[in-house]
Amino acid sequence: MNEDLILQHGLTLDEFKIIKNYLNRDLTMEELGIFSAMWNEHCCYKTSKKWLKKLPTENEIVIQGPGENAGIIDIQDNDGIAFKIESHNHPSYIEPFNGSATGVGGILRDIFTMGARPIATLDSIRFGLIESEKTKYLLNGVVHGIGHYGNCIGIPNIGGECEFESTYGFNNLVNAMAVGHVQKDKIFYSKPKSIGGLIVYIGSKTGKDGIHGASMASDVFSEDDEDDKRPSVQVGDPFMEKLLMEGCLELMSLGLIESMQDMGAAGITSSSVEMASKGNVGVLINLDKVPLRQPLSAYEILLSESQERMLAVIDEKNNLKVKEILQKWQIDYEVIGEITNNKRVVFESNNKKVVDLPVDIIVDDAPEYDREFYMPRKRKGKDFDFSNIKLEDIINTLLSNLNYLDKSWVFNQYDSTVMGDTVKEPGQSSGIVKIHGTQKVIGATTDCNPLYIRINPYEGMKYTVAESYRNLIACNINPLAITNNLNFASPLDPNIMGELVLSIDGLKTAAEKFNTPIVSGNVSLYNQTNEIPIKPTPVIGMVGSNQDLKKINSNKFCNIGNKILILGKQLEKNLSPYLLQDQNLASNINEYNDLEELDLDYEKKVADCVLKMSDFKYIMSCNDISRGGVFLSLLKMQYKDMGFKVNIPDPIDLFCEYSAGYVIEIRNEDLNNVSSFLSKNGVGYFEIGEIIKENIEINSKKFDYFDIINNYHNNFEKIIN
Amino acid sequence: MRIKILIRLKSQILEPQGKVIEQSLNNLGFNEFNNIRQGKLIELDLPDNLSKEEKDQKIDSACKKLLVNDIIEEYEVLG
Amino acid sequence: MSFKSAVITFPGSNCDRDALCYLQDLTKGVVYNIWHEEASLPQVDLVILPGGFSFGDYLRSGAMASKSKIINDVIKHANDDRYLLGICNGFQILTEIGLLEGALIQNKNLKFLGKNCFIKKKFKNNFNLSIKEDQVLQIPVAHNEGNFYCDNETLKSLKNNEQIAFEYCKGEFSNSEENINGSIEAIAGITNKKKNILGMMPHPERAYSDFHPSQDGKLIIESLIT
Repeated sequence: MNEDLILQHGLTLDEFKIIKNYLNRDLTMEELGIFSAMWNEHCCYKTSKKWLKKLPTENEIVIQGPGENAGIIDIQDNDGIAFKIESHNHPSYIEPFNGSATGVGGILRDIFTMGARPIATLDSIRFGLIESEKTKYLLNGVVHGIGHYGNCIGIPNIGGECEFESTYGFNNLVNAMAVGHVQKDKIFYSKPKSIGGLIVYIGSKTGKDGIHGASMASDVFSEDDEDDKRPSVQVGDPFMEKLLMEGCLELMSLGLIESMQDMGAAGITSSSVEMASKGNVGVLINLDKVPLRQPLSAYEILLSESQERMLAVIDEKNNLKVKEILQKWQIDYEVIGEITNNKRVVFESNNKKVVDLPVDIIVDDAPEYDREFYMPRKRKGKDFDFSNIKLEDIINTLLSNLNYLDKSWVFNQYDSTVMGDTVKEPGQSSGIVKIHGTQKVIGATTDCNPLYIRINPYEGMKYTVAESYRNLIACNINPLAITNNLNFASPLDPNIMGELVLSIDGLKTAAEKFNTPIVSGNVSLYNQTNEIPIKPTPVIGMVGSNQDLKKINSNKFCNIGNKILILGKQLEKNLSPYLLQDQNLASNINEYNDLEELDLDYEKKVADCVLKMSDFKYIMSCNDISRGGVFLSLLKMQYKDMGFKVNIPDPIDLFCEYSAGYVIEIRNEDLNNVSSFLSKNGVGYFEIGEIIKENIEINSKKFDYFDIINNYHNNFEKIIN
Repeated sequence: MRIKILIRLKSQILEPQGKVIEQSLNNLGFNEFNNIRQGKLIELDLPDNLSKEEKDQKIDSACKKLLVNDIIEEYEVLG
Repeated sequence: MSFKSAVITFPGSNCDRDALCYLQDLTKGVVYNIWHEEASLPQVDLVILPGGFSFGDYLRSGAMASKSKIINDVIKHANDDRYLLGICNGFQILTEIGLLEGALIQNKNLKFLGKNCFIKKKFKNNFNLSIKEDQVLQIPVAHNEGNFYCDNETLKSLKNNEQIAFEYCKGEFSNSEENINGSIEAIAGITNKKKNILGMMPHPERAYSDFHPSQDGKLIIESLIT
């Protein structure tokens, strides 16, 4: 095997040497293909594994932590919630519609492969600046793709985020999250139970889709590469996946399946290898039995990433019944192999072995690197000049920035109410769905503050986790656990590796403080093109619950005349990164002052007060404070004919970011009780104003209410067209 | 034999995709392209041993029964 | 005598469970879930063809579902003057069968539309007797092909026979446009001449429970059950 061939397969020459020495023989082409897929960053986490191991992943409510298709937490009464977030970044750049659609398809399979019925999706998408035609094309394609897949299969989209920032110009990000409901005593794992179990193939026929997709996920692009990479994008069929989901859930509910694994990145290779590894068994598969769409070589079958396929292990006695049920759902089914007891992965084609490898070298002994990393340099800091800033200009700048505007254009292309259990649709603090047949609800949110993380990865990550936490608390949802998608540029750059290491450390600190363990996640590296790296983007997906749906807070104003209070600690103007960036005060990344240290204990203290006041029914509505400050929170809370009147010594403070920040609406008659409750708990508050009819007033100056509200709701669509 | 059936929205029905395509082409400098309408093509195999009458009859029947909604669509068998 | 109803499930129907819950909670009677391949329907008072993407919406929305085995009995049920409600994809299926006139084509802005919307009663029929004149209902839509089309003759006939059940309209405080998807005369739902079949694009089964933003969906079948 010549060097070029090895490098084309995404392996370093050193890695190849390790394999060859271990096996003490030459590899077949098929075996080279297997290592190219399984030893890729996407499948084996070789750069991040060392650091991810430090994360807290267990507590009394975690049923399944990282290592399976999805994480699962216990929400009482035999109800489990399975959830995970995953990226499909590179495919979405190459073919935005199919790339993002198949991202949704993949994450949904990860949920129902565990026996959980998907009940909600969220999406976190990032693009370059809208002035570029390329961005417009990607935005349209990605939103169309996510909607197309989710709507057809019938799972409601309940939230997400959408950011536009220059470093994502050639590396847009698509992170898809899914949440599912499972009975705790009916969870299915990928570990086979018995030797001699039949390995069966369920789902769409295999074609040439996505061959080398897993390696593509880890390759850095150069600008001319697009056309060459185009054939590797998978095309999804959500109708097929709906049938597959119903068929698999039916099989699992009847106990006809021993174990199941979806065929995602690296297709049949990764699913069979994972099964063998988890179960400490071997697999023997005859590739000639795999249902094909077109003639394929053994190599191609092994690496195909055709969508909507599952691998399962069943007891031989159930074979006919399984076939009958799948036939009803019009799903292809084929027995392709069996579980063996020799801990080897063996694939046969045309009556000869094309792959015969010990499981360990592929999975457990996959490389783990300790890459060099640099700590960020100490920041000098600067005093910014706010003297020439007018309030009207700040507001106009905000209303011309896509990142602040109402994103209905995006989420109106998604079905948010299918399944009839949606309590909070996208556009609110967090998305909420009811658990069918119960009064329990699940809340979920996705967040990331790449600018903060670029300034100070450790501290910035704490802010990001705290923001997710506050988004759930604002709704009176109790935060329970985290799934995370770490999107970074090349870890071969020690500065970027440092951002990865430190943000994982910040995640650890915050997750321990909030008791929200990380139960699943994904890492996507090498997101850069032509030397432009993306900003560090570790996305947090946080999930929580409340046992009683009637206790959920509104995020929108309730009554004219009610008081508006602010909780939390405002960041000073010089220390509010988004204010400085978005009002064009800081011109380059080196000018930002270091982040103020985030007091996680104070975050918890204020959060506990918000939860208690919610249960006392003092809180009429609530919103967290983040980018855009109090002003943006007030715009988000505006509803029907209700505007606001506020008084504040320095009006620019309305646009500063916060820690532990919440805007809450209180009835006049509750003000005394709220005031004494907060002082008893050592939590400060500021009574900033009240809700008034059809007006916006800041320090007695009236602003054009209808103009501002219309711009907030309609400018997104205007700007992108 | 390979059969190609072209299915189009009837001319009096607004066909919004065609308009958008026309706009985009015009923006790219293809200003001479006008009146664009988008349709769909269904290709299928029929046994070679059918007579012309049998072939036409089967195609018409399939179109009437399923492939074409004659409230809004019309069709043409190509080639 | 208890009210009996049924929901038909096609491959790709994804609002069938929602329709079953809607019927169970509001009628408190017997509710059957019938698979599209079954040859016969039990005798019931109301059949719902639910929303979703039957057969992936491939070829045309509702086209292949309209040829399912169960459809013969659905037609018989309708001819017996019993009630038939098609919601969203169900409305599309009814036009493909020919039990309702016109057709549903792609939304005028070419995008899927999933949001709250407002409709008002146009002409009286058995399905909207509980709804007052000028009452505006808030019921969500979620569709790609919700744009109702018919030729001028059919439109005249629909008006003369008072078959237009609902029209899209503006809601209070809402700044979105009235006709959300380009339908002729903003038509959101129609009946057949005998008024025992209703097809509508909005989803009443997503607007009836206490925790839904609106309970107006109840009104669609209320007058049938009492």
